[in-house]
Amino acid sequence: MKTVKEKTVLFLLAFSAAILLLAFVAITLFIGVRGLSAINFRMITTSIRKGGIFEPIIGTLYLLAGTIAIATPLGLATAIYLAEYAPKGKINRIIVQALNNLAGVPSIIFGLFGYAFFCRFLGLGISLLSGWLTLTCMTLPIIVRGSQEALKMVPKDFRVAAEALGTPKWKTIKDIVLPTATPGLATSIILGISRVAGETAAILFTCSVFLTKSLPTSPLHPVMVLTYHLYTLLVASPGTSMDRAFAIALILLGLVILLNLLAYLIRMRYRRRWKW
Amino acid sequence: MRLKCPKFLCFKDKAESFSFILASISIIILFLIIVFVLNEGIPAFIELGFSNFLFGHRWSPYYGDFGAFPLLYGSILIVLGSLAISVPLGVFTAIFLAEYSPRWLSNILKPVIELLAAVPSIIYGFFGFMFLAPKIMEFLDVSMGKVALTASIILSMMTVPTIVSISSEVIASVPKEYRKASLALGATKWQTIKSMVLPAAKPGVIASLLLAFGRAIGETVAVLMVCGCVPQIPSPPWNYLEPVHTLTAAIALDMGEVSWGSLHYHVLFGLGAILLVITFIVNMIADFFIKKAPRGVQI
Repeated sequence: MKTVKEKTVLFLLAFSAAILLLAFVAITLFIGVRGLSAINFRMITTSIRKGGIFEPIIGTLYLLAGTIAIATPLGLATAIYLAEYAPKGKINRIIVQALNNLAGVPSIIFGLFGYAFFCRFLGLGISLLSGWLTLTCMTLPIIVRGSQEALKMVPKDFRVAAEALGTPKWKTIKDIVLPTATPGLATSIILGISRVAGETAAILFTCSVFLTKSLPTSPLHPVMVLTYHLYTLLVASPGTSMDRAFAIALILLGLVILLNLLAYLIRMRYRRRWKW
Repeated sequence: MRLKCPKFLCFKDKAESFSFILASISIIILFLIIVFVLNEGIPAFIELGFSNFLFGHRWSPYYGDFGAFPLLYGSILIVLGSLAISVPLGVFTAIFLAEYSPRWLSNILKPVIELLAAVPSIIYGFFGFMFLAPKIMEFLDVSMGKVALTASIILSMMTVPTIVSISSEVIASVPKEYRKASLALGATKWQTIKSMVLPAAKPGVIASLLLAFGRAIGETVAVLMVCGCVPQIPSPPWNYLEPVHTLTAAIALDMGEVSWGSLHYHVLFGLGAILLVITFIVNMIADFFIKKAPRGVQI
């Protein structure tokens, strides 16, 4: 028999879950509805000086591409070292601890560090390159953690079997472990991209500017980015050109939701296909 | 005489040494972050005096007043407010997910909660700025919508996924035997949860709370847009309907305008150093609690 108390508790618990659902729906609806009425093909493809948002979109893509090009090999190598070569040891513990601490560092600190180290100390200035490096530091823990999980999912038997056939260890990793873990690795990289796409605080003083003459032609040029553009629209000139702000918000939200959905689908498929 | 190499540096092949070098970069990054933030921040502590900087009551950089206390207070006020919302919400949702929710509903709720965590902070800021702040102004009948409460609500949405995901993992990892034994003794489901599951899961839940604290206090863009950015201690100090300013927002707003190497510049790095120390300590305590959690929980 269900007492009144049991029912109240269940109601309270379900109510909390419903609030979270509602919060998400509210955000997507608010930005979706007004964003969809503001966005159009012309806005996306015209230059910023004619009221469009072309440069920040391309700038964001530049930023994403470079960061992933640097962070992926670095993150993969770290994960491979941790999962395959040094599964248990002092050095493993130190690296894992460092990554955990990095994951807890607020993004604004990455911004400060990026400015002091990459822009000033290394003399890279406010540039695309400084942004890539700063964001690499920030996404590294995400990519490593996800990749490590993916590598751990590969059954031990695969490695033992390869070893029994006399395969050198690096070849086992290259030909057997990595291909098997590909969906999981892809997921972790996609989640890394999604994090970079929405980042604002870390690029505030490292790579982005509100207006440039043209798209960057070298990694040492500053770049226009969607998140920074939205930030400036709101902080510096609230009230003006809200259409553009809603369009940018919609693009960012849509991109992040799509990337996460993609990661989710890959993970689901992967789980169903590889069942040991 | 042959030098003995330390055990961890004896590599089996080139691939191992190569991946080791790349893996150690993460240690170097962490080290550089600490060194550079402290190196640029410490001059502020020296020039202003440690307690004058940390406990000074006036923050108006353009008049040369660098008292960080209002910022520190604002940060902590907002974060505590957000936890007051997100902890019950998160823990209840986690219990619901782990114990009551039918499968189809979990399959909707879990991805949605993951998405809540993935939504960029600038989007939360935008939502708070355009939607929540005007609503707060309207419903609570206050003259300003961008107040501590608005920031707390926005922050709670951002931190609740952390609490839900870790708590539900911890709750799910409480041994089945505990529940079965309790149910066999005639306890109802809620009695079992309350007296068996939650106490066993308590360290993990505390850890999730601390991690959420660490994440919330470092949040920048979303907070900056909705907290009002007025460096003051509200009167009375627990008044959530007044605007405040935070450590992170001060760094983000001022950094673009300071000249490199000035006192103001060093002060901003000093604020960064304070923030870094707080997050490290909080994460360390969280780590301690995670180790006490039931078997097999990995964060």
